[in-house]
Amino acid sequence: MSALVEVRDICKVYNPGENEVRALDHVSLTIDEGEFVAIIGQSGSGKSTLMNMLGCLDTPTSGKYLLHGIDVSHMTDDEQSDVRNREIGFIFQGFNLIQSLTALENVELPLMYRGVSKKKRRELSIAALEHVGLGKRMTHKPTELSGGQQQRVAIARAIAQAPPILLADEPTGNLDSGSSREIIATIKNLHAEGRTVILITHDPGIAKQAKRIITISDGRIANDEINPDFTSDVPVKIEKAIEASASSEENEASETNTAVKENTSNEENKDTEVNTASEAETEEKAVEANTGIDANTEGKAEEKAEE
Amino acid sequence: MEYLRSAIASIKQNKGRTLLTMLGIIIGIASVITILSIGNGMKAYVNSSLDDMAGGGITINIDPKKTDRYLEVDQLLRIKEAVPDVLGITISIGTSGSILTGRDELFTGITGGMPDMINEFKDGMHAGRFLREDDVESASAVCVISQRDAILLFKTDDVLGKNFTLYIGPKSAEMTVTGVLKSSPQEVESAKRVLKEQEAAYYWSEMYVPYTLLTSKFGLSGDKITSFKFYTSPGIADETALKVKSVTENILDIRGESAVKIQSFASIAGTYTSVLNVVTLVVAMIAAISLVVGGIGVMNIMTVTVTERTREIGIRKSLGARTSYILLQFLTESALITLIGGMIGMLMGFLFTRIVGNFMSFPPVISPENVLMVVTISVVDGLFFGIYPARRAAKLDPIEALRQE
Repeated sequence: MSALVEVRDICKVYNPGENEVRALDHVSLTIDEGEFVAIIGQSGSGKSTLMNMLGCLDTPTSGKYLLHGIDVSHMTDDEQSDVRNREIGFIFQGFNLIQSLTALENVELPLMYRGVSKKKRRELSIAALEHVGLGKRMTHKPTELSGGQQQRVAIARAIAQAPPILLADEPTGNLDSGSSREIIATIKNLHAEGRTVILITHDPGIAKQAKRIITISDGRIANDEINPDFTSDVPVKIEKAIEASASSEENEASETNTAVKENTSNEENKDTEVNTASEAETEEKAVEANTGIDANTEGKAEEKAEE
Repeated sequence: MEYLRSAIASIKQNKGRTLLTMLGIIIGIASVITILSIGNGMKAYVNSSLDDMAGGGITINIDPKKTDRYLEVDQLLRIKEAVPDVLGITISIGTSGSILTGRDELFTGITGGMPDMINEFKDGMHAGRFLREDDVESASAVCVISQRDAILLFKTDDVLGKNFTLYIGPKSAEMTVTGVLKSSPQEVESAKRVLKEQEAAYYWSEMYVPYTLLTSKFGLSGDKITSFKFYTSPGIADETALKVKSVTENILDIRGESAVKIQSFASIAGTYTSVLNVVTLVVAMIAAISLVVGGIGVMNIMTVTVTERTREIGIRKSLGARTSYILLQFLTESALITLIGGMIGMLMGFLFTRIVGNFMSFPPVISPENVLMVVTISVVDGLFFGIYPARRAAKLDPIEALRQE
């Protein structure tokens, strides 16, 4: 049986000639089904190019990219579109939601391109949104959602069509630490459910959450190791935790948890830049309290790492 | 469906600038509709007035340059018998003269005819009778005039038995009015108005007399018939004319010399109509230039839209939208803009047509074919000028597009 992802000796060269830039220099790697891989590297290391390659957004200058054993690196635009649609769920740093569409419509998009019937795609999309704890925000436009919520919509969009690969490009790059934890926990959970996850990041802290860490530098793979600190301790109840936070966000009038309230208002009014150090700290604590089990797991992971 | 929804959403988001873009199309379509309607109205008007003039009669001429033969009166009647579709046949001699009524000398057209000429007047008689066989045989000094002319000449339409002197050149005859032809109510009204406003009116009237009166009393040549008129049912005019022509050629024994010519008012009307068609088309084409200008406006705004929505296009492509999807999405949008513009333009065109119609002597006619054509043109306009921006959108590199802010 062939591996899910097989990259064979790929090069990507920009400006061939005198000032050529080798974004990828003879990169080879294999990822099997069910893996949780982090690709880590500094900016300019070539990790974005690799991610574009893995996401079928770009074609290599030389080398091959096999997906399910099929060469997808030299396909036409439309064929690549189909591969992206069927095989890959993207989670971007900038969320990349279409502003004029509601959360539900955004999630429906890839299903629409696949030709899923209206009724079926509505069902799948609602299920996906409920899965990430946004069942009550489906008719909101992206501008009416917080950063963390927007990223969860993007995750719902990525999983609604049940693609074999989830490709997350700096998924927490635009988020505050609280939301970041939420998103990472969600991604870990998706892996635990059996999905193959490829996470691209520059942040070692985030990379540590993955089972396998590939370090890329100057267009080459510098290191490829199994993360000794990986904990299979999966925050199973993450959705419930998020759901709880979501519902309390909705009932802001109710005097349930002042910490949650503070967290929520802070999240939604990002313009009010009053994040002094102490406030940020309380916020973090609030989130920890809020997301309960998830925070605990991460705490454990961090403790282990310190050991 | 999805394309349409997306297009509507996008147009709604940019109402103001979309409306401005539509202006070109609106003006173009409105002017094309107005011009075509006026053209149609003019055609209908020309046709109906020619019909009125001719009464559907068809004139047959024997060309004196090609032959010196001519018909006798009894031969004319033989033609009528030979072609059953001929409802009536008559000599028609035209001349002009003047009438003295009181102190005014009024000019008049005089047509010398036969009883069958009654076919020319579909509205029939207002009073009295038309020319009869015995009038023709005895060359009686009787005449038939229209209700309108009666009012103008005698200030009343109760003119049966009235006498007046008719001059043609140096000769004159004492005439008696024996019949009054019915005129349309509008003509009667306008004749009464003219009478009130002007003491001595100079206008043209027309009277019908037995042709024999003209030949015997006034010395016009008429026994050598080189021109006559016949009447038939409207639908079969052309084929009947050919039959009459062929019979005439047989009688005169001049087959194949193309000396007998058909001169129907229908064919004259046809000439007018085709000239009008060309004129209308040319003017409409000039107006259609604004459609090109409008289309370029649409192309412009669509290019802006594509640039603004580069990121959205990148997202859609990364999620698996094919080139054709993006292409169709933007083509739908540009076609929708021009379609809406076309609809508004059409309504404005109707409005202009009504306004213009108030200043014209004939009503403009809006034909359904023109409306359909204009709607089609506006959609095609949008599709054509949408191709460039839509292709630009579809060809975007998703990586580049996603990098856009």
